[in-house]
Formats: sequence, C-alpha cells, structure tokens
Amino acid sequence: MARDPKHDILFEPIQIGPKVMKNRFYQVPHCNGFGSEKPFSQAYFRALKAEGGFAGVATEYCSISPESDDTHRMSARIWDDGDIKNLSLMCDMLHERDALAACELWYGGPHAPNMESRCVARGPSQIPSDFEFLTYAIEADKDDIRYLQNLYVEAAKRARTAGFDIVYVYGSHSYLPQQFLTPFYNHRTDEYGGSFENRARFWRETIEMVKEAVGDDCAICVRMSTDMFLGEAGTQLKRDCLPFVELVDHLVDVWDINLSGIAEWGEDATPSRFYPQGRALPWQAAVKAISKKPVLGVGRWTNPDMMAEAINEGKLDIIATCRPSTSDPFLPKKIDEGRLDDIRECIGCNVCISRWEIGGPPLICTQNATAGEEYRRGWHPERFTKAANADNDVLVVGSGPAGMECAMVLGKRGMRRVHLVEAQDDMGGTMRWIPELPGLGEWARIVNYRKIQLDKLKNVEFIPNMKLSAKDVAEYGAEIVIVATGSYWSTDGLNGASHATIDGADASLAWQATPDQIMGEGKELAGDSVVVFDNDGYYTGVSMAEKLAMEGKKVTLMTPLGTVGPYMHFTLEAPNQHRRLHKLGVEIVPYHLPSRVEEGMVVATHIYDEDGHEKSFAADGVVWVAQRRSNEALFRELKDSIGLEQLKAEGVDALYRIGDCEAPRLTADAVFSGHRLAREIDSADPSIPLPFKRERRMVDAESVTREKAEYEAMYAGASS
Amino acid sequence: MRTVVCIKQVLQLGDEVEFTDDGLDVDPEYLDPALNEWDSFATEEALQLRERLGGEVVVVTCGPKQSEAALRRCLAMGADRAIRVEGAGRDPFSVARALAGVVRGESADLVLCGVQSSDAVQAATGTALAELLDLPRAAVITRLDYSGAGTAVVDRELEGGLIDRVEVETPAVLTIQTGINEPRYANLRAIKQAEQVEIDVRSAAGGGTPAYRIRKMFVPERGEGAEMIDGSPAEIAARIASIVKERLA
Repeated sequence: MARDPKHDILFEPIQIGPKVMKNRFYQVPHCNGFGSEKPFSQAYFRALKAEGGFAGVATEYCSISPESDDTHRMSARIWDDGDIKNLSLMCDMLHERDALAACELWYGGPHAPNMESRCVARGPSQIPSDFEFLTYAIEADKDDIRYLQNLYVEAAKRARTAGFDIVYVYGSHSYLPQQFLTPFYNHRTDEYGGSFENRARFWRETIEMVKEAVGDDCAICVRMSTDMFLGEAGTQLKRDCLPFVELVDHLVDVWDINLSGIAEWGEDATPSRFYPQGRALPWQAAVKAISKKPVLGVGRWTNPDMMAEAINEGKLDIIATCRPSTSDPFLPKKIDEGRLDDIRECIGCNVCISRWEIGGPPLICTQNATAGEEYRRGWHPERFTKAANADNDVLVVGSGPAGMECAMVLGKRGMRRVHLVEAQDDMGGTMRWIPELPGLGEWARIVNYRKIQLDKLKNVEFIPNMKLSAKDVAEYGAEIVIVATGSYWSTDGLNGASHATIDGADASLAWQATPDQIMGEGKELAGDSVVVFDNDGYYTGVSMAEKLAMEGKKVTLMTPLGTVGPYMHFTLEAPNQHRRLHKLGVEIVPYHLPSRVEEGMVVATHIYDEDGHEKSFAADGVVWVAQRRSNEALFRELKDSIGLEQLKAEGVDALYRIGDCEAPRLTADAVFSGHRLAREIDSADPSIPLPFKRERRMVDAESVTREKAEYEAMYAGASS
Repeated sequence: MRTVVCIKQVLQLGDEVEFTDDGLDVDPEYLDPALNEWDSFATEEALQLRERLGGEVVVVTCGPKQSEAALRRCLAMGADRAIRVEGAGRDPFSVARALAGVVRGESADLVLCGVQSSDAVQAATGTALAELLDLPRAAVITRLDYSGAGTAVVDRELEGGLIDRVEVETPAVLTIQTGINEPRYANLRAIKQAEQVEIDVRSAAGGGTPAYRIRKMFVPERGEGAEMIDGSPAEIAARIASIVKERLA
C-alpha cells in the first residue's frame, strides 16, 4: 500500500546545522545495555533502526571521562581511541543505511557512582545525588570548571573522529550542564551560581567551546529538560529554559526538548499507566515558538496522525522516539508504506528501561522479542527464514502472549499448518484481563498486534472454545506439539517469602480470591475491607489494591517486601503508583507475612521479629497475589502419562512447552520464549536455546605474552 | 438418510483491490479463497443430522480445481463424499443448473445450501436450485427439526427478530443461516485424511441462459459531504449528539 498523503510531512528532509536528515524520524538517545564495550551488539541494534527508516539514530548517554562512570548501569563511553574505534562501527553502519549518527556526550556529576573507574566526579555543589546512594561530587573550583569544559571539547573531537554527525551537550535528566542551571543542584555564590546568567554560564560556555571545536563538521544538539517538577528549586520553563534558549539559540543546531530530572525520570519516559503519547508537547511547543532552530522531542509516538499534527501545528520539527523505535524499528517504513496495522506499537510498560535501572543486562521489549537480539542471536524483526522442517504441522495449545507469538513466528517461517487452539472464546490468555487493570489499557496492544498478524497468515488457523485433553492432543494430527497453557495465581498462599502455604488460605472460599478469579472470572468479595497480600512485587498486587480501592473498599496492601511493587521502581512507575495508592487511602504494611487467615481477619507477623509477635488485621476479604504456578497438567500428562513413545506412535515427533507453562515470568520473557522456540524450531534440539554470540575478550598466546611482559615491566627493579 | 450440501469456495477481498485488465473481475492476486461462511453452518447441520439419524453427507460444489480446498474442508469436518462440477458459469442460474444435475442423481432426503455467498451476496442459487429440482424450499433457516422422513419443521428468520415456524415437505431445499449451530473445527489429522479422499469430478451439462453478464466491476467514486469533527472528546460527543438529534427531528 502507499503512504497516506497526510503523513507526507513526516518524510520531508530537514537541515540540521551542517547536516541534512532525510526525514523527520529520529531515534533519541536511549540505553540498550551495549555501550562501547559490546560494539557489534550496539552497531547492529542501532543500524536496524536506520534500516527501518529512521533518519537519525543516537547512542545512549556517552560518558566523556572515567570521572563519569555510571556502573553499575551501562553507558557508552568515548574516553579514548579504543572507544572511537568501537563506536565508529555504529557510525559506519548508520551511514551505510543513509542515517545520521548522534553521540550524546554525558557527564553525570554527583549522579555518577564511578564503581568501575573509582574516580570522583566534579559538580556544581557538594550535595549527594538524589538518584544514587553515597555518591558525592567534588565541588568544582574554576580550574575544575575549565577541566570539565575541556572534557566536553576533547570528547566532541573524538566523536567527530568516530564519524558522528550530531554531537550533544546533554543536560536533561539532571546531568552536569543542567545541574549548573538548576538551583536544586547549584548552590554556588560565584559567577557560576545565583542569577540566571550565572547559572547558565557553564552550559553556555561549554556549548560555545564544543561549537568552536567541531561545529563546522557536526551539528550541535542541546538536550534540555524544560521542567523538573521540583518546584522552585527545579528548572522552570519560563524562568530558566526559555531564557536559555534565547541565550544560546544561535549556537545550537537542534534542540532536544524533554521533561523531568533523573530521580523521577518516569515523567519523561512516561509509563502508559499514567500518561498518553505526546505528553511533553506543550513544553516542546513553547521552545519551538521562540527558537529559530529545529526542535525534536520524545512523546512515545506510535500514531502517525498525531506525529503529523505535531509538525503541522508547529509544535515539533522532528519526531523523536525511543521506546516506540525499539518496539518497532520499522515504524517509519511501515508509515511510509501505509502498513499501519503492521506497526508493533510500544505499550509503555518500560520493561526496556527496567534493565537499565537494574544495571547491566541488555534491554528487552514486551512487544518486540528481537530487541537486543539483532547481533547476538541474529534475529531480524521483519525477516524470517523458511524452517528446514516447514513440511510439518504444528499444534500450539494456548493463545496467551507466548502461544500467539510462537504461532505467529511459526507462520512467518512457513510451517505447513499451524493450529493455535484455545479453550476460551478468544485469544490473549491472562492478557485479556491484564489491560483491564487500572491504567493498563495500552497493554491490549500485545494481543491486538498479534491477532492482526495471525489473521493475515494463511497457514495459521485460530481455533477458539476448544479445550483439548491429552488424548485429543495426541490424536490431533500434528507432528510438533507446543504447550503454552500459561500459569495461575496460587490459591493457598504459597509464596516465595516463606516457601510455604499460609494457614487458612483457600481461594475457593467466598471471602478469598486470586487475581485470576477477580479479573478473569468476575468473582466479587463481599464486605467493605480487604487485605491484598503481595509477594509478587510487580504490578499485579498494587493494581488489585488500586482497583479494589477505586471500587470503594478499604484496602490494606500487605507484603513481606520492604516496599510495595519494588519492580515498578525499575519501570519508573513507582513514584506515581505510590501517589495513587496514597490518594486512594490504601494502607501499606511492608515487612509483614500472614501466619494465618480466618474469616474477618488476617494474622501476620513482622518478618524480622524474632519473637514472632502476631498482629491482627480485620478484613472482610483477602486477595492472594502470592506467587504463580505453571498450568502444566496437560504437558505432564502428555509427557508422563501418555509418554513420548506413544506420542511418536500417534505421529507426534516433538513436544515442547513455552512461556509461563514452563515457568511464570515477565510478559516480555514469555513472548521471547515463544519467539525463541519458533526461531529455532528447526535446530538440532529446539528445547535447548542455541548459544548466542558473546562479545568478550578472548585470550590467545600473543596477548598472554604481552600482558605478562607489561606486568613484569612495571615492577622491574622494584624491591619487595 | 442422505443430505446433499451445496457449498461454494468464496474469494475474499483483502484491504486492497485491483481489477483485471478487462475490468470484469477482481485480480485474483487480491483474493483469498475460503469456504463460504454460510456453507460451513449448512455442512455442520448435515453432520448433526447424520449423527442423529445415520446416513450420508455429500458435499457438492461448482468451480475450478482450486475450489476443491473448500470441499476438503467439509470432508475434514466429516462429510462422506465430495463432488466437484467443472465448467459451469458463475452466475446463480448456471451454478444451480450444474448443481441440479448432480443432486438429481443423489436421491437426497434434504438439500442444504447456505443462505448466500459472502462474495456475490445474491441469495439466489438455493432458490433457483429448488425451482429446477421442483422441490419445496424454505430460506434463512435458523432451526431445523427433522426425523428423517415426511415433513421438517423449520424456523425462518424474518425482519426485526421475528421467527416464522413452518412445516416443509421433504425432500426439500433449505438455505441455512449463520448461527444455527456452531460449526466444528477439523483437527490436523482430519485435514490430512481429507487430503487423501478422491473427489468425484464431473462436467457441467452446459446450455441455458445465465442470470446476468458482468459488464464492469469498479470501486464507486467517493462521495462528498462527510463532516470531520475536531475537538476534545467532550466537544466531539456534543457535536455527534446534536447531529443525531437534528436527523431524528
């Protein structure tokens, strides 16, 4: 199909300083866990977005000095010639795909923990980080300030050498230049603190110096947060940001405008639970209104109508995406080709970000199982090879996220016939009700995207309302059987804190329930008060509490953990979720584990109370968000009762299981599991994942000799 | 007890459409073949009759070799035999004449058709077939009560949710409405077995006047006068409400 003319504006080229971007799609800096030290993973990940039509693609935050080392988290680094070499692969691959490469020069100041480099960062004032524990910066004197500015200049030159077209002087997310601009971080009384002019001085001078050094060859981008939501002490749009735009607009080639500081950067990388797409547009438009330079900005953009509208209404020049470009690196191409229903829309769950927050592991994506696997597993999100055993018929039992993904990929790999059989009347499994939890509506995209794709695949047939017994499966006529029957919430209080059930816990009773029963079966608990017991630690417990509180119940949220929904800290949902629960009057009881329940009462003890004093909590009902268990009855019956040999006699050559049926996990990982099996359905043993490429240094004879000699030389003549 | 089910492989349009160079048909590239939805209900009804009363279910279609996929779908559901008639035209009269030739030789107790096909949407073939066979017919059947001989009691769906319950002498031609039952899915084993069944292929007798000739197939010009409503959800809702009130007044 052809592009809708109303989206033509998105494909108009735009001048950025000395460079031209071929269209308006730009991948804004975002982490992926690869940095400069996994250069192939980095380059393949970024290059795929260029292949998908993005005209500009940035690194993640790229450290300019060992003083700004963000370990445990993974940043890129442009410290030396080795980093230049490694990052130049990304630049080359982007240029081969007709895209510009951008490098986000980063210095963290007090936020940099320097756990690997063991250096100490410099910053405007000596106040420890509001994001990290135990990190203090040196309060920079004038010499330090010159030193810092020179770090930017030298890093910019290295970025130019690596082949970058756009160089950032990055301030957003409360990093060094914006720390100087912001009274919250800057308590100085010299010419770098106090008045706007003084607070702006560090950033202005640094931009001038970087422009002077590389401005003829590279476009200069400034990324600024236009509201930190920190009240008077934070950066203010009208007081600080608009005057700053006027001050340096002549030096800047493109503005990257966003929101938030680092401690609550979920206000920038907005979870769909709290914000719709385009949430930063009013701030971006305010900058656009006074700047003569192009303005780019994020907004979790997946809807081309809204993108075009933002440009047509003069609010933005360039559509910057981070999460949507990971969820679908081919977003621009699909818009260009009018294939809107093929867009794998970001659901705004932020599990991608959770991996950065955890520190270290590569990013993952709920919607795109191939994200992060471009190099190490060689997975392309849009290309599928015909399976070597494509002449087989496959039965997938269960159409939750894992089953849907597996059937879809098997269909795309050309299996002769794929039957996706479901006991319920439609696809989705638990993901049919999860989007009905407060704020999670956009998560329905997980099911909707796959439903549309499956419908297009002529070799895949969806069969609803069919509950298969093990005998039915054995006699179904498939050579390959994949069990994807999901998981359920434990009904007896079994949990990972005590590794035991809880006395009196029994969700078959009228006054107790699990999320499956409440959301999937419509079970209602009588009475005014309820205890939600949560030892899952992600969204289910807090969502049940929120839902029941919204329905008017007095809710106590009890957890053996130190905080409710701790994983939501990593997805940036925690701060606003805490606000929601607080506003709804949910009573939070951390560090408590029920010892027994009886009708009208939950009896619990503090987990660190060695004497085990019991405390009673009156409650008309109890909801168990204790742990999940695999729905493995069908798999066990097939494998143990019927047996692989008998299955073989019936023509079933292979039996596998995927997703929660194997072990409960994040939806992203369940989807990955279905995808992985389908990608490797023709391997020697598809039940065992193929090894992936690991980017690591390899020891060889030459390096051993050299390293040993270098070490010995250090101590030549030294006394012991 | 023998039930003959007349089925059709329909050609479904996707999102896009292009026409053949002569402008008389849709380019086959843009069409997906499938068993007509109504006919899957008719087949299911015949299978349920056989399960109750014994006997045989015979499925018949008119069409090229490709349309055997639809017959095999019915065989996989459980039909006993399949017959394909080649060389008939595609209009309802030509198809009905070709089907009548086969049905006459089957001494059917009941002949079931779908109410209509989803691609041509004429609802004419079943009725024309009854006329040619000189059998009673009842259309748009939502319930069938038949004990294997004599009269069948059937519910016919009328406008506005009304039901017309009538007695029909058998043999008869009944056109079956969707929703009368829940068509079964064939498992892969049945689909594979159906692939091995030999289909009885016959030639249409030919002759006779077609119901119509296609002169041109085209996408109608887009009309004018659509109103795009902009604004907040509340503003849009208010505007829609006022339009509805205006039109109802």
